[in-house]
Amino acid sequence: MNKIKIAQFELATLELLKTVMDPEIEINIVDLGLIYELNYDGSEKINIVMTFSTPACPLGETIISNIKETIKQKHPTFEIAVDVVFDPLWNNSMVSEEGKKALGL
Amino acid sequence: MNGLKTNNAPHSSVVVPHFIFGAISFFIVAVMLVLSGAGLLEVYFNTKLIAITHMAILGWATMIIFGALYQLIPVVFETALFSEKLAKITFWMTAFSAVFLSYSFWVASFSMLLPYASVCMFVSLLLFVINVLLSYRKSEIKNWSSKFVIAAIIWLLATELLGTLIALNFKFNFLTETHIHYLKIHATIGLIGWFLLLIIGVGSTLVPMFLISHQLNHNKLKASFYLINVGLLGIAINWFLVNSSILLGICWLMVAIGVLFFVSFIYDSYKKRMRKKLDIGMRYSMLAVASVLLPIVISSVLILGVDVEYELLSRIIVFYGFSILFGFITTLILGQTYKTLPFIIWLEKYKKLVGKTKTPLPRELYSEKIASIQFYLYLGFIITMPIGILLNNLLLVKAGSIALLVVAILYNINILKIILHKVIPIENE
Repeated sequence: MNKIKIAQFELATLELLKTVMDPEIEINIVDLGLIYELNYDGSEKINIVMTFSTPACPLGETIISNIKETIKQKHPTFEIAVDVVFDPLWNNSMVSEEGKKALGL
Repeated sequence: MNGLKTNNAPHSSVVVPHFIFGAISFFIVAVMLVLSGAGLLEVYFNTKLIAITHMAILGWATMIIFGALYQLIPVVFETALFSEKLAKITFWMTAFSAVFLSYSFWVASFSMLLPYASVCMFVSLLLFVINVLLSYRKSEIKNWSSKFVIAAIIWLLATELLGTLIALNFKFNFLTETHIHYLKIHATIGLIGWFLLLIIGVGSTLVPMFLISHQLNHNKLKASFYLINVGLLGIAINWFLVNSSILLGICWLMVAIGVLFFVSFIYDSYKKRMRKKLDIGMRYSMLAVASVLLPIVISSVLILGVDVEYELLSRIIVFYGFSILFGFITTLILGQTYKTLPFIIWLEKYKKLVGKTKTPLPRELYSEKIASIQFYLYLGFIITMPIGILLNNLLLVKAGSIALLVVAILYNINILKIILHKVIPIENE
């Protein structure tokens, strides 16, 4: 798979992750800016680097499980690794324009 | 997964019974208020009023706070609760003791029942304190929020110890001062030391989390912590040993400034919030934080020793207690119930279904319409009731009591709706 196709796949997966909501904030995790990196290896592995709005987020585990299930619904054989980081700390500059609109900013 | 502490939440069977018992107690308190009517306009240490206060403080507020705290310990301490089994035992003991204690006051059985009820409550609260302290010992996080929680539970124990001594004194008669003297200290350290400090500790974590606000000045919390604790300790020592009005005034001022630092911290969080629209839970919470200014004003008037006749002074004291118990504590609990309980139930029911089926949002587990009507009725209650108390107007007091009864019924309907929520899975298209 060439680099263009990998990039297209990554964008499509990000689009797919727009169906994963933060149930408290009621905005999808992509527009909220929680996904720092999404890397596809060209075969069957996706690595996601993400954060939460707070380190002790009570919904963290549920959001991770939602991400994995959502991708597996479309790519059942894929291996999905999610790495949660708090450096850099999430802040409002990471929210997309659509996310800001939903937050009323 | 660096720092992810989401798998520490206790099982819902630890938390949910507290909300059920709390909601029922809230309803009982409202019924007791309706039944006591004119009793609210009498002196503040009448037995009916003390019974209502203890049911509200222990059966309603403390019980919900215990449940919420078990859920929030993983958020505030970033560690799991020390023992879920101990928490369940504590629940049953506290529930029994709260009813036993309130009944003892209601029937004015001071030497027969009250001493035993107080000892039961002391043991229950001691078990809670042990569980929280041992959880804190495991925690690697020692931030200001967790320090507030620890200070609060120590004050809770001190409050209950003094309450138990007053109760035992009815049987053994060993205290040197009048009961009113000790009751004043008991109420002050309970309301400020337990409720206020705990609410600051939990609120300073939850409010910025729910409003999504960052880069807040935590030095305000540090100042608040020292001012309130030192001030309160000074007030207690003064009342026990010194009895100086100047020292009392200085210590009271420290507490008041400490509270203002907390209000300022929350105001910063509100100004810097990313989430502009406030949901029903946060509307209640913001109203509660603003309401805390009222008891500061009333207590300042009391401390300054404004010359009023005894009957009016007694009603001002009832108004002061009302402003803390209902204006601040109950308002906050009503709001935070809608922020925490739907999530606890949602997580239990949908944790394993997310991504596989369409799931509702946590706020869809209750009726927002009922919550909204409840909010405006509650506003009506906290406006009419204190005016009725201050003006000695029984009609307003009764109208306020009935409004609270309707609030309690609506609240219970929503609590039941959340707890009895049934999962209806819908496959993703």
